[in-house]
Amino acid sequence: MRRKIAQGSRYALLTVALLFSLAPAYWMLTISLKTEVDQFASPPPWFSFTPTLEHYYDAFVTRGFGEYLFTSVIVAVASTACALVIGTLAAYALARFELPWRLNRRLSLWILSTRMFPAIVTAVPLFLMMRDVQLLNTRASLIIVYTGFNLPFVVWMMRGFFADLPRDLEEAALVDGDSRLGALVRVVLPLVSPGLAATAVFCLIVSWNEFLFALVLTQTDAAMTLPVGIAGRVTQYEIKWGVMSAAATVAIIPILMFALAVQKYLVRGLSMGAVKG
Amino acid sequence: MGIEFKNVNKEYGSTSVVDDLSLKIDDGEFIVLLGPSGCGKTTTLRMLAGLEPVTSGDILIDGKRINDVPTQHRDLAMVFQSYALYPHMTIAENIGYPLRVRKLDKAKRAERVKRVAAMLEIEPLLDRKPRQLSGGERQRVALARAIVREPRAYLMDEPLSNLDARLRVQMRGELKHLQHELGTTTIYVTHDQAEAMTLASRVAVMMKGRLQQFDTPMNIYNYPANRFVAEFVGSPSMNFIEESPLTKGIRPEHIQVLSEPHDGAIAATVYVTEQMGNETFVFLTVGSNRLIARAPADFRADEESQVWIKIAEDKIHYFDPVSGERRATDNTD
Repeated sequence: MRRKIAQGSRYALLTVALLFSLAPAYWMLTISLKTEVDQFASPPPWFSFTPTLEHYYDAFVTRGFGEYLFTSVIVAVASTACALVIGTLAAYALARFELPWRLNRRLSLWILSTRMFPAIVTAVPLFLMMRDVQLLNTRASLIIVYTGFNLPFVVWMMRGFFADLPRDLEEAALVDGDSRLGALVRVVLPLVSPGLAATAVFCLIVSWNEFLFALVLTQTDAAMTLPVGIAGRVTQYEIKWGVMSAAATVAIIPILMFALAVQKYLVRGLSMGAVKG
Repeated sequence: MGIEFKNVNKEYGSTSVVDDLSLKIDDGEFIVLLGPSGCGKTTTLRMLAGLEPVTSGDILIDGKRINDVPTQHRDLAMVFQSYALYPHMTIAENIGYPLRVRKLDKAKRAERVKRVAAMLEIEPLLDRKPRQLSGGERQRVALARAIVREPRAYLMDEPLSNLDARLRVQMRGELKHLQHELGTTTIYVTHDQAEAMTLASRVAVMMKGRLQQFDTPMNIYNYPANRFVAEFVGSPSMNFIEESPLTKGIRPEHIQVLSEPHDGAIAATVYVTEQMGNETFVFLTVGSNRLIARAPADFRADEESQVWIKIAEDKIHYFDPVSGERRATDNTD
């Protein structure tokens, strides 16, 4: 009986949490499918309305949201890949090589310190730098900035995963005749792949949703990402709720699919390091 | 393949871990580095493997200085205490790893993996993952990975310490047989003197980073170079009687325990007896000294009872009471 109550309350709490986090998503989804009349009806029709795809057509056929989506994918994937490669190598070095003057610790802290100030502090300097190297309104500028933004996170996450791995395995690989890099690729990385997957998901989400730098560094359709494109529908004369919701709904899909694909790793990655084994 | 340590030092900060080690190992020898934990034996092995930089001195393989040769180019094979099997690879992939790294083609690789697996009787395990194996099986896989290529030498870091007692004795025998068959120079680190005595062609006894004695097992047992070696090798350990001018050392088997008074026998009190099945250890009190004697299996004596002991005078070792060095005042030298 007591167990049943405990289980019941557990499900009740889960339901509340789910409602809390999913309600805005549901609201967005319904707005994207409602005609403008239904959107502003009071009380709002929660379930019974005639769905329409006109906003999706408007967003992706009439307007350039398809291109924004493409830019978002390129920028997020490329910056995540760059941050993972550079960050993983740096993390491995910090976790395994003993540097002089206690640099391991100091460098790690320096790397982390780049995330200690608000992002907007760097917005103006970055804008000026990108202008000088003529990278404004390019995807490259966003890839560079997001890579830099994600690096501290990758380094700190991966450093922890590497540190938890027994050194014996790499040493065995070296004695067996493999190079440092070979041991890293063939022995170490497969063993930290859950951590790598978890880190990749975080990087992707951050790059995908990033708004501030995308707004500052891109003003034309050439390199506009979805968040900026969506926000751009708030104009002086009207707010296109339907188009914005349609684009935002589509924006959820890639991240959701990736997270589902690596879900198996994700749980292990997030709890790795918590328990040795 | 000959290996030589020439005045090798290893320091971590200001602590010296290996202190002026010089050691010359001949081709095909089975050398055991023996000592208590923290004596520098594992560090010595790791320096030879290239996993630990040398602070000063030289390490030579076949007369060539290898201090600066990276691990992967030293062509040595090592068996780790933890076995260090790659958990994400099958047993066949584990054993074949050194060959894969050397870019041997797949068919040849598979053939050699099979041959080694057959040699160590682990063929049925080839498709499994390390976590599905018992300790003894993992140990064999680690060995197989070491011998699948023909390295210049085998380095073994307490490879049997994670096995249960019965398996340890069995693997000890197999290791010795294997080394004899392959004839490859082997350097074996252990704190277990039984392993050292049974496996080694020569034993290097270390303490606090210093080499104490480097000799055959029998010479180490019969002519220990100093008090530390005498105490560390032999179980139960040697008895010491502090006398002036020299300290006397007597092995337990050289003390005969008698229930009746006898010519030249000294009176002693039994402190406790330990029956081992095949023999009995008798702990005795003689004046202010505690002694251990090895008696036959059927020896019986009550605690606090009076017995008599006879010490084989010609088997007594003498040590300098200050330096602990052996003194050749006995007639066995």
